[in-house]
Amino acid sequence: MSELTRPMTALLRRLTALVPAGRREWAEAIWAEVAEVPAGWQRLGWLAGGVRLTVREAARGHRPWYPLAFAAAAAGTAWSAWSGPPGDSAVEINRVDVIAIAVILAGLAWIIRRARGPVADARLARVVRIGGYAVVLALVLAKSAVERVADAPPNNLQGPAVAWTGEAVFLAVMASYAAVILMHTARRSPAPPATMAIGTVTGIALGVMAYLLGPLGFPLRFAGPWPACSYDAAMALGVLLALCAPVTAGRAAARRADRSLPPGAAARQGAMAGLCSGTAAALAVTVLSTATIAILPYDTGLQHWATGHIGQWTPVVGQVTPILHPRLGYVAGNSAFAAGYLVVLLISPLVGCAFGAWGARARPGSRRPLATRPWPAMKRLLVRGKPAT
Amino acid sequence: MTGRPEFSAQTLSVLAALCAEPSAWQHGYAIARDTGLKSGTLYPILIRLADRGLMEARWEDEQPAGRPRRHLYRLTPEGLASATAALAYAPPPVKAQAQAGLSSRRRLSPQA
Repeated sequence: MSELTRPMTALLRRLTALVPAGRREWAEAIWAEVAEVPAGWQRLGWLAGGVRLTVREAARGHRPWYPLAFAAAAAGTAWSAWSGPPGDSAVEINRVDVIAIAVILAGLAWIIRRARGPVADARLARVVRIGGYAVVLALVLAKSAVERVADAPPNNLQGPAVAWTGEAVFLAVMASYAAVILMHTARRSPAPPATMAIGTVTGIALGVMAYLLGPLGFPLRFAGPWPACSYDAAMALGVLLALCAPVTAGRAAARRADRSLPPGAAARQGAMAGLCSGTAAALAVTVLSTATIAILPYDTGLQHWATGHIGQWTPVVGQVTPILHPRLGYVAGNSAFAAGYLVVLLISPLVGCAFGAWGARARPGSRRPLATRPWPAMKRLLVRGKPAT
Repeated sequence: MTGRPEFSAQTLSVLAALCAEPSAWQHGYAIARDTGLKSGTLYPILIRLADRGLMEARWEDEQPAGRPRRHLYRLTPEGLASATAALAYAPPPVKAQAQAGLSSRRRLSPQA
């Protein structure tokens, strides 16, 4: 057996040097205990576990593909948003937009890594972080495509000052969204994974539902009485769900909260779930709708559908008009995005947070004891391979 | 916040082992022996507990003769509160497993 344990011990010692300095003590701790473990298979098993942990920690400390993937995505977004004639305020805004967003996303990741640690060791956290960043970049891309039409003459009746103000607000909102995404997926997150999972899943479902009910941000029109009635009923149900979803998410998060937590802390968990729900919902509906609006001027089929289901509307904020055929114009100065979805992005997380906290406070006092509940299956989805702490 | 509200069965057994003597510093192999966990399972749990501020870690102060200094672990006050609450509401099989770990620990003389 010693012919196996000796090279394994040497391997563990060598691998320890590859672990980042801040985590190396854990690999050294395993090595320091080797002599205590009875010789034979038991010691070999101990060493094998140590090698596995060391390889994992070493790999975690050297993950260049995340920054590289982000850099590639940011560069791609910048390249797409950069094109346009010189002197056009919409193009200038887009250029500032892509640069500022790249700096904000990279800078916030750096700041929050120091304040809250790196991304949590859970698959869901990584998926939410990567997905959140991808959605923010996709939103910037879609927004730049929208504004290339909406803020270009003769659509920009309100002038570049309004557009620049809207841009500043948009960047501030995106910075807030990135901060929420990063904080909730960090190792020292203020919310447990279950809270984030409940809020995110609820929010995405809500956002997709809102998009389906009004892909361009406006209620749809249907010709026949039955389709119209069905749509009205779906809208009413959608509004009800939009109000209930963050409350339910907050309530669910509070139900999963530790019983030792005081009611205020349970409400905080509810608020976190509501915040995640509102943030995810706003991002989902905004990116889907903005992308649809961006495609609209170039897709004849979509234009016909929009004309049939939204109507020949006069150039009021955010509404399509056939005046600038063949490229449907958005409204002057304020695009559909700036006027409508920026408000959604601003309000949705706040409303979600408030409703989630309210839902958590309204939870029933008596709950089923944990012992009678099934052992949470969600955790197995949250954590890769090994149990959550 | 006192921590993530739910712990896995393995984490609860580690918490139970650390709770047995909250003020004492324990080393990794002793915890592994008490809980029956392999090093590849135990140490990621210890790392996560430390990352969340539920457990503190330090090296032995003095160099013992004939062996390297050990890495020692103890629950923080926050960790002790979370562990106590979690163990109180743990499902019976997990509690039984944690109790089994504690019993075996009591039979053995504590080290470090």
